[in-house]
Amino acid sequence: MSKLFPTQEIGSIKKPADMLKKVKDPNVSDEEKIKVRNDAALLNIKTLEDIGLDIVYDGEVRRVEMYEEPVRYVDGFEFAGRVRSWDNKYYKKARVVGPVAFKQNFHAEEFNFVKDNSKRELKVPVTGAYTLADWSYDEHYKSKDELVLALARNVVRPLVKDLVGLGAKIIQIDEPAATTHPAEMDIFRESINESVKGIDAKFVVHACFSGNDYKALAPQMPEIKAEQYTLEFANRDTWNTGLDDDTRKGFQVLKLFKEHGFKGEIGIGVSDVHVNEIESPELIRDRILYAAKALDDPTKIYVNPDCGLRTRTREVSFDKIRSMVKGAELAREEIK
Amino acid sequence: MISSYTFGIYPRSEELIEATRKNTENLDSLSQKETDEYINTQKNANLGFVSDPLLKWDDIFRPFSSLTSVNLSSLNRIYEMNTFYRILSFDGDDFTDGGNIVQSNLDSSLPKNKTIAIPEPFTFAELHTSKKFKKKDDFIINLAKMLRPEIDSLVESGFEVIQLLAPSIAYNKEVDFGVISDALKIITDGLNAKTILHTYFGDVSKKIESLLDLPVSGLGFDITTTPTNSIEKHSFSNKSLTIGIINSFNTAIEKPQECIKQVDEINANTKPKESYVSNNFDLEYVPKEFAMNKISVLGEIARGTKDV
Repeated sequence: MSKLFPTQEIGSIKKPADMLKKVKDPNVSDEEKIKVRNDAALLNIKTLEDIGLDIVYDGEVRRVEMYEEPVRYVDGFEFAGRVRSWDNKYYKKARVVGPVAFKQNFHAEEFNFVKDNSKRELKVPVTGAYTLADWSYDEHYKSKDELVLALARNVVRPLVKDLVGLGAKIIQIDEPAATTHPAEMDIFRESINESVKGIDAKFVVHACFSGNDYKALAPQMPEIKAEQYTLEFANRDTWNTGLDDDTRKGFQVLKLFKEHGFKGEIGIGVSDVHVNEIESPELIRDRILYAAKALDDPTKIYVNPDCGLRTRTREVSFDKIRSMVKGAELAREEIK
Repeated sequence: MISSYTFGIYPRSEELIEATRKNTENLDSLSQKETDEYINTQKNANLGFVSDPLLKWDDIFRPFSSLTSVNLSSLNRIYEMNTFYRILSFDGDDFTDGGNIVQSNLDSSLPKNKTIAIPEPFTFAELHTSKKFKKKDDFIINLAKMLRPEIDSLVESGFEVIQLLAPSIAYNKEVDFGVISDALKIITDGLNAKTILHTYFGDVSKKIESLLDLPVSGLGFDITTTPTNSIEKHSFSNKSLTIGIINSFNTAIEKPQECIKQVDEINANTKPKESYVSNNFDLEYVPKEFAMNKISVLGEIARGTKDV
């Protein structure tokens, strides 16, 4: 993108309550449910466009959740039941009971709708092979490595290939589990490389922060076939404006990426998705300017929230994105 | 036959998850019904010791949030799991005003042969924070002082075996066994019960010598992370040995005959003072129907294993 500091979302936004109510209602017809989902997707797309986001999608409004959604459509999985995430929050976890295989492009309808309804650049989020493996019980493959690579080759690659065939140009592979196992970075690297092999598109990897401050990820970054990483920084940064190292402590790790020879783009997380407070445009401006200096190349900086915003209310989410867009504008003015 | 037990937090059923979420009128009765079900499953499996499934506990540390000077803080990942706990912030000068917190959060219908698991002080200090105790060692020792009356209270009410959960000792590359030993001494000195230090979430192969010197009655191992051949290199003639043979991180149900053979081999090579089989860590990492099956299989393994 020729514009400096393009803005984008990571993926999920809280679903509209009226949509959820209708799609769960057994008395609502299938046709009506399709319409309700389309309306919700359109609302998200148009809201993001109106705010001024450069790269958009639909807030994953049709997806149940990032793990359960793909697993529903992949051969070899059976849901086992719910497992605790924290307190009384649970997620559905599946067993791998046979060879994993791609059945159908489960994002096709979603992608076609977004493509037909937006003129902006689109970034399609897909759940990565490593995370699908890590969040499942494996009763079939001999090792985790074997399962991860089978998912990369037989599920993620055909899915991505099909999406690119439909016209997708930017694919974001979501890998929140990747950095939770620092000792398994080799297999994570292979899983991404196998997932994208032979496919002509721009690949973005989204990985969450996991306590290791991306230190295990940094050495792998130049070897992974991804042009961009969208990563978390804001939730470890201070809320003060300023460009010194102490104030921008959440962004220090960018220097490590450079030291390890990574020359690609970084989608910097400038909004903390775990709190309701809205970052000011001036704070976001300074986070962007610091990152641009740390990488020594402002053209490599993209701007996004730390992660998907689905745990925030829609109002908070859109306010955060609005502030992010304004902050990017301020940063562009400074660079001029 | 050897003895056996399961420990930690057990999974809530789908029904109980929903009832808890909606805070339904039948929540208490449903929770009690499932607690009874788990206790009966353990009894029917002839486990040597029975534990409370802790269905009301949100994480293994949560009851301690009721201490006067302890505040609930942010969520934090449990090691490399996709599960989170709440950090407790020990902010006051003194947090030894409990003494009966664990006991008061347990089901009263447990049989006489009962066991309970609580975190050991090093793990506790690693996973929580204190504004008062800036030095980690001071925090560890004070946590041990807080835990001792808790354990005394448990022993008084009939708990014969206390599991001391030690994932941080396993997970952390560097651990100071000096302070761990001092803290455990506070907990176990003169205690009229068996204490088993249970390690999981990391390979402790290189730490077994140091673990054997700790002032506890026995050691427990997760054999999915610590290879059995490294355990078998050591003599357990002065310690009890718990083999965490049931994998709480996979729905695949263990094959009893293979497990019996494996346990017999480990016991033959380590010659422990006493031997137990157990789960490797909390059963809540698998859904309820799998946990129930695993409890039954554990009983079968214990019954088929040779005496030590």
